[in-house]
Amino acid sequence: MNRPARFHTLEIRDLSVRAGGTEILSGIDADIRCGEVTALVGPNGAGKTTLLLAILGLVPYTGRIRFCRAEEHGKGTPRIGYVPQRLDLDRNAPLTVLDFFALSTQRLPVFLGRSGKTRSEAEAALRRGKADHLIDRPLGKLSGGELQRVLLALALRGNPDILLLDEPVSGVDVSGEELFCDFLDQIHRESGFSLLLVSHDLSVVARHADRVICLNRSIVCQGATTEVLTPETLNAMYGSEARLFSHGHSDGHGHLHGEGNP
Amino acid sequence: MESLLSPFYSVIDRLLPLAFAEPAFMKRAILAVLFVAPAAAAVGLPLVQFRMAFFSDAIGHSAFTGVALGVLLGIHPLLTMVAFGLFVAYSITMVKGRTGLSPDTVIGVFFSTVIALGIAVISAQKGLTRNLQSYLYGDLLAISDAEVLWMAALFLAVAVYLSIAFNRILLLGVHEGFARSLGVRGRALEISFSLVVALVVTTAIRAVGILLVTALLVVPAAAARNIAREAAAAFWTAIAISLASGVAGIAASYYLDTATGATIVLVAAACFALTALLRHVRGETA
Repeated sequence: MNRPARFHTLEIRDLSVRAGGTEILSGIDADIRCGEVTALVGPNGAGKTTLLLAILGLVPYTGRIRFCRAEEHGKGTPRIGYVPQRLDLDRNAPLTVLDFFALSTQRLPVFLGRSGKTRSEAEAALRRGKADHLIDRPLGKLSGGELQRVLLALALRGNPDILLLDEPVSGVDVSGEELFCDFLDQIHRESGFSLLLVSHDLSVVARHADRVICLNRSIVCQGATTEVLTPETLNAMYGSEARLFSHGHSDGHGHLHGEGNP
Repeated sequence: MESLLSPFYSVIDRLLPLAFAEPAFMKRAILAVLFVAPAAAAVGLPLVQFRMAFFSDAIGHSAFTGVALGVLLGIHPLLTMVAFGLFVAYSITMVKGRTGLSPDTVIGVFFSTVIALGIAVISAQKGLTRNLQSYLYGDLLAISDAEVLWMAALFLAVAVYLSIAFNRILLLGVHEGFARSLGVRGRALEISFSLVVALVVTTAIRAVGILLVTALLVVPAAAARNIAREAAAAFWTAIAISLASGVAGIAASYYLDTATGATIVLVAAACFALTALLRHVRGETA
């Protein structure tokens, strides 16, 4: 991940989001650099998901979000891939993984069938995520980790310039989590997209992120991972109860626990 | 109008050479059901996924007021019923979006308001009650050629709408944020879908009545979900169940001398029970 970071993929300036009279985010200035992994950390209710939704243009905001495209990626609007935090799935919905791909990608209404192109594209995308065995499984019956791989495969299908991942390892067991992160590392190296990753898990952040943005309704601090993840900033963000502690992983694999809300 | 429909009637003659399908009014009823039932079932599938059964019920009951207003204003009640249904559907969707109240709260408020308005209008106008009977229970056997044509037009409209919007509607039902990140315009889709539902509901009222209209949308879709694993299979199963229960319901009502709309819904409910049993036998309980 030592590619030159001359370009900013995303420039966020003075961004504020209000909903129902309360300010969810205020005065956000941040840069997402080209090809880097940027982690977005902060307590519950800090506005992390809201920031992703603002970048996606799904919530109204004031301020400016500018997409810049690196020259090597060509001209035009950058493509954004999005993997949402949790799908509140209808577990009995008559919908397979292939159906889900077809709904997202093909013009032909799914009740008239799924085109051969949809199937081969879905197979290729799922194979990349080592999830091709899931293609005919019902979407509602997948485990958290399986669903994540399917969503990631779908998000990567269009070769995005920016990938937004909301809590990629929530609802996934520890071994699944490491597999997922290693897998993410691998495809990130292959594809070189900019990755913005929301995470509660500071060990994931420490191991995978180049830069960290600490958010608690406004920017607490941002910078290189090693400079930002200090006891002082964690205190400022999560309160004095916060600390990193190990779950018995010798590699310092830890979760952040603390009084979540500001 | 007769000439437009006569080829359909001769097809029914050929396919159903049975005593119950002989009278002209029975042919009209069968044709009406062949248009309305699949349209209702097709719209019903995403409706069930969105948990909008209560919404459809509210639109159905708004017809009560729509009809009363039509009689009061001297306009054909069918027109005011459809127009009022569309108006209520639009209002519910807009208020839901603006206030952030839960859908069932907003629908509950509209539901009771339109019923109250209907009762107020009817109680002020003596002699209206008789007119309402056929809307409450449906009057499939008294349907006119013009109404059958209207149902054919509805069938085509729903087919066109779903051909364009079906994938996006289902995707929106899976996850709103994800769908919107793929460029699905959630709001516009939500509004257009609720208007199509209102159109189907107010049209289907002529067949099965205000009290039972939601069943025509929900029951075939629910039965299909019991046995189908894929979206296309669920869609066509729902349509097959709706067509079968429509025609079988009309036949049964002819021989048993029962209300047509109610008999159709009972046959559909039997299909639901059967598919639920099948699901249980297969051991899929979760």
